[in-house]
Amino acid sequence: MAKTVENDLFDAALAFVEDGDDQDTVFKQVSDQLLVAGAVKPDFYEHLSEREKNYPTGIDMSVVNAEYPNVAIPHTEGEFVNVRKIVPIRLKKPIEFANMIAPDQKLKVSFLFMILNNDPEGQANVLAQIMDFLTTSSAETLAKLFGADDAATIYNVLATSFKK
Amino acid sequence: MTVKILAACGAGVNSSHQIKDAIEKEFKKRGYSVQADAVMVKDVNEDMMKNYDIFTPIAKTDLGFTPAIPVINAGPILYRMPAMAKPVYDKIEGVIKKENLK
Repeated sequence: MAKTVENDLFDAALAFVEDGDDQDTVFKQVSDQLLVAGAVKPDFYEHLSEREKNYPTGIDMSVVNAEYPNVAIPHTEGEFVNVRKIVPIRLKKPIEFANMIAPDQKLKVSFLFMILNNDPEGQANVLAQIMDFLTTSSAETLAKLFGADDAATIYNVLATSFKK
Repeated sequence: MTVKILAACGAGVNSSHQIKDAIEKEFKKRGYSVQADAVMVKDVNEDMMKNYDIFTPIAKTDLGFTPAIPVINAGPILYRMPAMAKPVYDKIEGVIKKENLK
């Protein structure tokens, strides 16, 4: 699929629906595709995986709305990525992440916003934009996103609803 | 006097930068001069801490040493929901007042 929004935070070619049993499987599946797309460097997967073990990124969405599934924001240092993008990933099977702000707590996570950030100081904070989207979007919009069966739907929801 | 705050997260790129930005914005509103820096947890050491008044990691963090400055877990700020962030800001303000940092 051709890249359609080259300078935006989302890219139609970088949205995924993945079926994996655990973090490492999903991270490897997505990392391989990101590497082919030129979005990350060859050692991205190892650093992403290692970082998630030491500094988890699960976000408990029940404090926002008890009906929402939990999400995670896996990412690693900017030196291992080539772009500034958010890679949305719907998980067909929820997988376990530790809670970012309370690592002893385990969460079942159904959606990832993988952050590729090669320029953390350059523009508005990407994580802040994700959290604003999750806490201010309508339940209908988020239901459409979290229930999407294909990458095109994920991209379309985010391309139209995510505040720049 | 400018209050110096050290924010830290795993990669030093997203969470800690959000905490830095949020704290600086909030404390400007509250009438304080606050400067925050964002770093990777693995880079934090006792020498670095000497340059700061308050340490705000995103979660309880084992640094391998006991910080000599007050530590306030700032993770709830990441939600960008006032009800979750306010208690963290209030704790920071409490430390600023208690330690007479202003």
